[in-house]
Amino acid sequence: MSSSVLALMTVVAQFMPADGFTQATIAKAYAEWAPAVALVQYSSEITDPGSGETTKRDSSALGLVVTPGGLVMAPGHMQLENAEPFNVAITVGHGGSERKFEAEVLKKPDDINICFLRIQSDTPLNLPCATFARNMRLSIGEPVLLIGLYSENLDYARGIYTCRIGGILEKPRTTYCIDSTLRFGFVGGPVINAQGRLVGVVGFDLTPAEGGDLYVRSGHPLVYQADLFRKYIETPPDKTAEGGPGGEDAWLGIFTQPLYDDFAEYWNIPKEGGIVVSSVMAGSPAEKAGLKAGDVIVSINSVGVHPRLDREVVGFTKLVREIGVGQTVPLRVLREGKPLDLEITLAARPKSARDAGEYKDEVFGLTVRELTTDVRILLNLGEDVKGVIIRRVKSGSIANLAGMRPGVVIMELGRNPIATLDDFKKAVTKLVEEKPKEVSAFCRVGAETGFFRLEPRWDAMKR
Amino acid sequence: MKKVFLVLWAVMLAGGCATLSGSVQSAVTRAKDKVAPALVHIRPVKEIYARGKREEVPVVGSGFVISTDGYVVTNEHVAGDSKFVRCVLFNKEEVDAEVVGTDPYTDIAVLKLKSLPKGIPAVKLGSSARLKAGESVLALGSPHGLSRSVSMGIVSVTDRYLEDRDDEMRSPFNTWIQTDAAINPGNSGGPLVNLRGEVIGINSRMLAGAENVGFAIPIDAAKEVVAQIRAHGRVERSWIGEVLQPMRVKTDDPASKGVVIADVDPLSPGYDAGLRPGDVMLSIDGHPVNARFEEDLPPVRKAIADLPIGAEVTIRVLRGEEELDVKVKTAERSQLRGDQHEFTEWAFTAVDLTENVVRKAQLPSKKGILITGSQVGGIAANARLQNGDIVLKVDGEEIENLAAFEKIYRTLLATRKRLIMLEVKRGALSRFVLIKQDGEEGGAPPPMEPAPADAVGGTDHVE
Repeated sequence: MSSSVLALMTVVAQFMPADGFTQATIAKAYAEWAPAVALVQYSSEITDPGSGETTKRDSSALGLVVTPGGLVMAPGHMQLENAEPFNVAITVGHGGSERKFEAEVLKKPDDINICFLRIQSDTPLNLPCATFARNMRLSIGEPVLLIGLYSENLDYARGIYTCRIGGILEKPRTTYCIDSTLRFGFVGGPVINAQGRLVGVVGFDLTPAEGGDLYVRSGHPLVYQADLFRKYIETPPDKTAEGGPGGEDAWLGIFTQPLYDDFAEYWNIPKEGGIVVSSVMAGSPAEKAGLKAGDVIVSINSVGVHPRLDREVVGFTKLVREIGVGQTVPLRVLREGKPLDLEITLAARPKSARDAGEYKDEVFGLTVRELTTDVRILLNLGEDVKGVIIRRVKSGSIANLAGMRPGVVIMELGRNPIATLDDFKKAVTKLVEEKPKEVSAFCRVGAETGFFRLEPRWDAMKR
Repeated sequence: MKKVFLVLWAVMLAGGCATLSGSVQSAVTRAKDKVAPALVHIRPVKEIYARGKREEVPVVGSGFVISTDGYVVTNEHVAGDSKFVRCVLFNKEEVDAEVVGTDPYTDIAVLKLKSLPKGIPAVKLGSSARLKAGESVLALGSPHGLSRSVSMGIVSVTDRYLEDRDDEMRSPFNTWIQTDAAINPGNSGGPLVNLRGEVIGINSRMLAGAENVGFAIPIDAAKEVVAQIRAHGRVERSWIGEVLQPMRVKTDDPASKGVVIADVDPLSPGYDAGLRPGDVMLSIDGHPVNARFEEDLPPVRKAIADLPIGAEVTIRVLRGEEELDVKVKTAERSQLRGDQHEFTEWAFTAVDLTENVVRKAQLPSKKGILITGSQVGGIAANARLQNGDIVLKVDGEEIENLAAFEKIYRTLLATRKRLIMLEVKRGALSRFVLIKQDGEEGGAPPPMEPAPADAVGGTDHVE
């Protein structure tokens, strides 16, 4: 009795597609792509942005080997603004054939929430790796397979399951939503379509380019299709390089708003108008070109711009980025309703806090960063404010006892003006030589300036 | 273990009883009897502005009669912004009072009872100058609304310095009496009394979450303010735009003289006259000023506030190694908070900019208004105008202040102009906000649920 039922079930599994896949296609996809799935184990130092206190934590994530030489993709949450991964180890293979490697973390791309890691090996590697199909589109209801890792309790065994594309966002770039709930060990894992082609990986976060503030959680698993990250596989990010692949991003130095119909009506300009300049940053290419708040950009480099939604403004940012640094291009605006042609020479996007240089000083217990444009905007600090900003204060340190805290901008240390990280380092070195009893730091806290008195324990430091 | 504690407690109780027996006990009763008949239970109906609308909230506080013609002293945070104040006297008779004047900088308000029944005496005001830590004191008032309550403790500290906070409850001009006499919400404005039955302080604050850490305004500081309010309805103060820190932030050298000028408001007479952050202020018109510790700061701030408004004063400062005289013409210090106004048709509230707001937002001038709230579903909120936005221009015209805005607003309502463009600043960025007047029936949007009772003030206010 029971055996006959079993036999029947096998038949069903063979001939009735399980959610669009036959058992054979699932098994084939698993055999083909599961070996490229690796286990990433790492420690991270997490900084509380408020207090600057740091904690360390061990974590694991799914890694997907994408080149035989050992380039590995991992979920972007490994590498966030306040979390620094270290001690990264990648285990390739499973069930007795494991090989464990150290790995280095490469610079994180800024347009997709994925990390890139490179396996360190003295001998050349030839690892099983994932190869993504090109120009793949998915459609509503299309079945897909996801491969991922089960938990530590299940010995990180590889797993596969089926689901369907439940939703598609077309703008600002195509984003596919998966119709099932998120399984954590599957974030970053391969997504396989009905033809058994590898089309992308499971993602979870909208990037700033998709209208998120800073990797806003979408709340749903998404497919990051391969075309979004292929460039990083072909030209892996450098460990230390500034800017993404293809060099620096071009930048205008403006903040914009979409031109809503009512705005067009108010200004008596065509509704297909363009993009509204809301703020122009001091010293930016836009300011040099004579762009003003209230101008409506109609075209740049002869390409028309007309975003209708807040997040479509991103398309404009992309357009500017792709024109390239140093290029001089025509810019047509409407000023008070009348067309005006300007020329603008694009400059490199200024460094952001993520790329900012950092210096950890052992004397006072401070970790300071150079002031970057994004931090200046966030804290409303004009370009005239010179200094370095405190990122962390070591608990119990001299700086901690003086009441210094993250976010304070140090403008002067022991009468030495501080404009750069180098100035700060030199000032600390000089103070170590001079060993003054008291060091006064002139700082900026929010909109106000003031002093902190540091009392170095020079004697204790010698020991 | 438990027993030990019990024994210890019993001993303490015995000790306590011993000290309160005899003459001390009778002194406490006598002191209480002298003040209690002048004690007032105050029930104002305050106007508060929350979530874009004006609301009326009943609160409870304490106060005391200071003259037989019916003047009553309480806290500004009790009786300020009230339309209607009902007082319950010690004989349980209810009498209405008018607010004669308030001073948010010292948190003092003066009321005048509309009639004073026979047999209600005035308190005797003592002096806080010779107060000693350890002295026994009584706190009288209405903790948690429980009128006619007396608690007892000692003066814990005579000159507690409480750091200014950004918004409300600033007390730049006085230090505080700290006491362990139980003070709870509702005690605010009640008298702190010595065993001679003289009022030596006004109970005003407590440390939330602490056990019996309460603070009273020293009566000597209050007397001056009360006299000015009785004479002019308000307190006038001079302003030069300085932010002071004690010498200790630069050096612990006891021989150091002066006060550190930590910051100078860029839109102030002090800045115009050439005062700069980092200068050490040595004297004002030849009178030396010194503040080695933070407790020394209030008298220096008060000395500046007490200068005649519009007078030219000579401030001697030490800049680097050089002493120099800076001639400053004082200006009048603005109110701590601007007056709120509700714009019912657009469903938002706004306030005039104060120097503090201008400073924090780093505006180039004091022109504009600050939005303090917008009601969900209202015209302003639909245009995404929100709390913290600073409106600089309406239809391209700069707004001088709230009164000027109100005039423009009335015209816009009368003409029913469909689209109105506001230029708004928030943090470092500006944007355009388009107000749409059509589609409304002219009435206010549906009422919102009332604000919770704790909407008045922070946790450590004592009502």
